[in-house]
Amino acid sequence: MAPAGPSPGEPSAAPRPPPQVFSGRSFSLAAAGVVLAPAVASAVHLLLSDRVGLPSAAAAGLAVLAAAAWAAAGGGLASALGRRLAFHEIAAATLLLVLLELGPLAVMLPHLRGLGLVVLSWQAQGNLVLALGLVSTALLSGTIAFIGATLAYLVLGSGRLDASLGYELFMARSHLKLSPRTVLGLFLVVVTGVVPGLLVAMAWSLWRDAAERRAALRRELFQRPRMPATLLMTLISIGGVAIGVWALTVVLSVMSGFEADLKRKILGAHAHGVVLKYGQNDFTEWRDARTKVLAVPGVGAATPFLYNEVMLSAGQNLTGAVVKGIDVATVGTVTDLSRNVEEGKLEWLDRAGDIPTARFPREKDLEKLLGESGLGPSKGLKANEGAGAPGAQTRPQPVLPGIVIGRELSRSLRAFVGDTVNVVSPFGDLGPAGPQPKSRPFRVAAVFYSGMYEYDSKFAYVSLGEAQRFFGTGDSVTGLELKVKDVDAARPVMRRVLTALDGYPYRVKDWGEMNRNLFSALMMEKVVMAVILGFIVLVASFIIIATLIMLVLEKTREIAVLKSMGAGLPSIMKIFVAEGLIIGAVGTVFGLLLGWGTCLLVDKVGIPLDPEVYYISNLPVLMEPAQFGLVALAAMALSYLATIYPATKAARLRPVEGLRSE
Amino acid sequence: MPGPLVRIEGLWKTYLLGERRLEVLRGVDLEIRAGELLALTGPSGAGKSTFLHVVGTLDSPTSGRVLFEGRDVFERDEEELALFRNETVGFVFQSHHLLPEFTAIENAMMPALIRRTGRAVARRRAEEILALVGLADRMEHKPGELSGGEQQRVALARALCLQPRLLLADEPTGNLDPQTAEGIHALLADLNVKMGITAVVVTHNERLAQSLPRRVRLAAGLLVQS
Repeated sequence: MAPAGPSPGEPSAAPRPPPQVFSGRSFSLAAAGVVLAPAVASAVHLLLSDRVGLPSAAAAGLAVLAAAAWAAAGGGLASALGRRLAFHEIAAATLLLVLLELGPLAVMLPHLRGLGLVVLSWQAQGNLVLALGLVSTALLSGTIAFIGATLAYLVLGSGRLDASLGYELFMARSHLKLSPRTVLGLFLVVVTGVVPGLLVAMAWSLWRDAAERRAALRRELFQRPRMPATLLMTLISIGGVAIGVWALTVVLSVMSGFEADLKRKILGAHAHGVVLKYGQNDFTEWRDARTKVLAVPGVGAATPFLYNEVMLSAGQNLTGAVVKGIDVATVGTVTDLSRNVEEGKLEWLDRAGDIPTARFPREKDLEKLLGESGLGPSKGLKANEGAGAPGAQTRPQPVLPGIVIGRELSRSLRAFVGDTVNVVSPFGDLGPAGPQPKSRPFRVAAVFYSGMYEYDSKFAYVSLGEAQRFFGTGDSVTGLELKVKDVDAARPVMRRVLTALDGYPYRVKDWGEMNRNLFSALMMEKVVMAVILGFIVLVASFIIIATLIMLVLEKTREIAVLKSMGAGLPSIMKIFVAEGLIIGAVGTVFGLLLGWGTCLLVDKVGIPLDPEVYYISNLPVLMEPAQFGLVALAAMALSYLATIYPATKAARLRPVEGLRSE
Repeated sequence: MPGPLVRIEGLWKTYLLGERRLEVLRGVDLEIRAGELLALTGPSGAGKSTFLHVVGTLDSPTSGRVLFEGRDVFERDEEELALFRNETVGFVFQSHHLLPEFTAIENAMMPALIRRTGRAVARRRAEEILALVGLADRMEHKPGELSGGEQQRVALARALCLQPRLLLADEPTGNLDPQTAEGIHALLADLNVKMGITAVVVTHNERLAQSLPRRVRLAAGLLVQS
């Protein structure tokens, strides 16, 4: 009866071609997506920041988004073309990008001009960081392309556009068995810091044991409700994701807090930008320049300054310092100096006569000091004069000019408001044996506290006139300090300022340039921290993989039945992807809530720090919504990626196997 | 006279179990006409389930063809096969294989939901079919709360939800007591008449097989017409 044709052993001439593993067309699409994504990012960034004039951060964000969309589109097309996941093609494309970056590109790199800022900053950190940065860019690009490919397969894999998640979500929820009560319980366990929650659970379990034993004694059957293993695994994965997101948000918020604190202090003590002039002691037209600069849109205020390094001495104490001559009337519009004054008054720089005398125990020292320096008590020391100094001189006493010093400087010099401080400049008059240091006493008019140790221990301010007289610079200043209206737009504003001044011999610097090392170190630290803590989320996503594999194994029969009813591969995949996403989403929401709560707690209650070490009394926290959003996005992306392997495993199960296991 | 609904030509199914080659089907030929109610009998291990799975495209043959309305079903790709199973074939298994977390009506709706029919439409259709199999008042019960016969009726309702052209039942009464089994068979015969469904019913029970219009017997991988 059987037709003579096919013999039983060998398969018949296959009517269907065997499924393709690697297709050239898919690969070229994937390669276009993955390899060109970094180029897209830098092109879009260049376009947005230079042509459109968006602020750098916004332009960078949009550029990354555009590149991600590009890579995802490439991956999606590659997958849609073959109606497969196109995993091999994307992996090959990623490898190609890595090779390109480490091969020809690395050779060309020193010759390439106009590289992205990111690449330049990697280059500055050395070859290892550069290579790591390039490789991780390639991996990120490939990962995003793979996400695009899987999404495209889920939506288009059935051969028609099918983005709905109707019954799949229904199935996913039944698999996870997450009742609101269970979720709440898990949340409480995580909130209470795991240990108390587990203690309660153990007590509950002990109580159940006792009940079981009592029932056994009475020869009754006690059905102890048991938690299904998969539910337990689900809860553990949710907890894992939550803890990862929690740690990331809290640590990044604290680091942002430190950074913001530092930025505030730096910008408070210093200007947002400075205008300098090449050459020495010839910036005499600063009044005109100031008027021009103030006319530039975006500039809020400007004040002249004279910068010199000196030594300060008071009694036996000596220290190096920076003396800045400032215009008392306008300095308050640019820096926070007047607000940072703790004792005394900034205005006393101009009205030295108003500086009160030093406090009582120091009067004798002061008299001695004044006697030695041959200056005698000044007019300001009326109290002293009232006491009737025996050797009162007849000629009028000169008023000592005022000086403002930082708190740490005041401590190390033991000089307080009213005390005299000697300013010693190494570049002084010409004496018989060459240049002699020049020294002049000033009286402390005020003590400031900026919160930056570096500033509080190194900076001293005198009035501009006094400084010019002391250093003999005539009417010249070092430069102008500027305040811009938008701190983050300081760089373009400073560029406009330079244009308004017709460039050379002027030059400008913004706060970012002046503190580049500090901020790039902070950024680096933050990135490294995010990567290290990201490993927690990574581990959590591995738990998700394990949980989903367990679920797939438990549900083989169900998958077979669904397939017998006509559920396609993408449809089965959707069930398990939905499960992983639910786990990830619940965990992420938990983590965000916990992170937010912890940050609020740290912010409101305050965790004291040793101010001697950190110069901050409390742990600073800055909650940035964008940062929280990024952490959530990363956690969800990792959860999503974790679902792909178990979901494909489920989708590829042969229905017959599931039906046989009865 | 139109051609047969299903035409099976030289169906071989061979499994390789390590060194040993297991020949489950050894060249089966069969024609099933539209509207036919066919009983497939045979001893355990004769390859009845495998035959049913291959005809229903859950498994692919080692060689041979299954023509549905003259077209080889295995020419389709995976997704087309899924669509074929969804629209054209209904399965009933020995152990009902209902989804335990869902109610009777939700189980019966499932094929319609897989086809992306709207929830309301799917529900209405499932209600009709459940009423047809005599479960109008048990719709909101979960499988665990139903008797064996009722469970199998729900499974039947699920298989019939999308009005398939071909119903494949793999020992639908194998786990039931004779009386209930009789009820299910009567229902099948009734539906065959009412809905004009073509059905292949695998059964051990010779007495029940005798009640069906056409019987074929599978023995050692070969068909024995009876």
